[in-house]
Amino acid sequence: MSSSLLTDKLRARIGETRIYVAPEPIGKAAFRYFAQAVGDHNPLYTDDQFARDHGYLGVIAPPTLVCETNQYANLSRQSTGYAGHAWELEIPGTRLLRGGNEYTFHQPVHSEDVLTVTWSIVDMTERTSSKGVPMVIVTSQALYENQTGELLVTNIETLIYQSRGGAS
Amino acid sequence: MTNVERGALIPPLERRIEVADMVAYAGATWDWHRMHYDMAYIESAGFTAPIVDGQMLGALMAECVQDWLGPDARLTTLGFRFLTPVEAGSVVRCDGVVESVETAKIQCSLTVHILGSNGVVVGTAASGHAEAKIP
Repeated sequence: MSSSLLTDKLRARIGETRIYVAPEPIGKAAFRYFAQAVGDHNPLYTDDQFARDHGYLGVIAPPTLVCETNQYANLSRQSTGYAGHAWELEIPGTRLLRGGNEYTFHQPVHSEDVLTVTWSIVDMTERTSSKGVPMVIVTSQALYENQTGELLVTNIETLIYQSRGGAS
Repeated sequence: MTNVERGALIPPLERRIEVADMVAYAGATWDWHRMHYDMAYIESAGFTAPIVDGQMLGALMAECVQDWLGPDARLTTLGFRFLTPVEAGSVVRCDGVVESVETAKIQCSLTVHILGSNGVVVGTAASGHAEAKIP
């Protein structure tokens, strides 16, 4: 039996929180850029009149954009090229895999919204895969609010730190 | 959408994801991770081709459901798990099944398949579920 990947030092980080305030409103160009990049031509994201005709104040963000963009974080690029929120957890002998996400869209996001994003570590657990590979599952939550404190989206993200050494 | 029943199939949405699409997505999300375009980095990580940002598949799931339900429906939840990395140049297809229909609410399960050169499914990239408010 190998030693535990999930140390007390790591466990102590459960509950850690980080808050980012976007330097500007998210903006219509961000909606159009994202829609064009993914090939989604729904006019809800690019045509104000069409969006108003369907009950919105104006164009809305493609649903997953808010949880995917690093625009709000305003961070420098790391050596990997990544420039978004990261916990920088160091778990020796593991590689990081993305597990998945659970998004709850409470309200549509409009171009004038200035995001405040609150990340927190809600849980860490150690498990063994069906193939006997030890791993640490880190569950984070991000709350996306606008400038008036309205909750727009909740994002629960699962990261998997999988042992490089194989089965224990 | 009033006549949709449990078990109904959601029209599939198919797309080829090239490196150019991945670069556009990286720009649009302010996420310039080298896994998506830098071959030296990609090979050092043990892969032979750029790997598609998994969240592109989440966007595809959202589009698939929203297109099917129309602009008066509103997506309220979307969840997904990544199962197999997708290499640049792959063709993926999102499809889904209605799991439940209640007053003004619909739930469905979703799958993103990886297609081979002959259009046959060769793998599953992601599985997920969504809920939407419907008029």
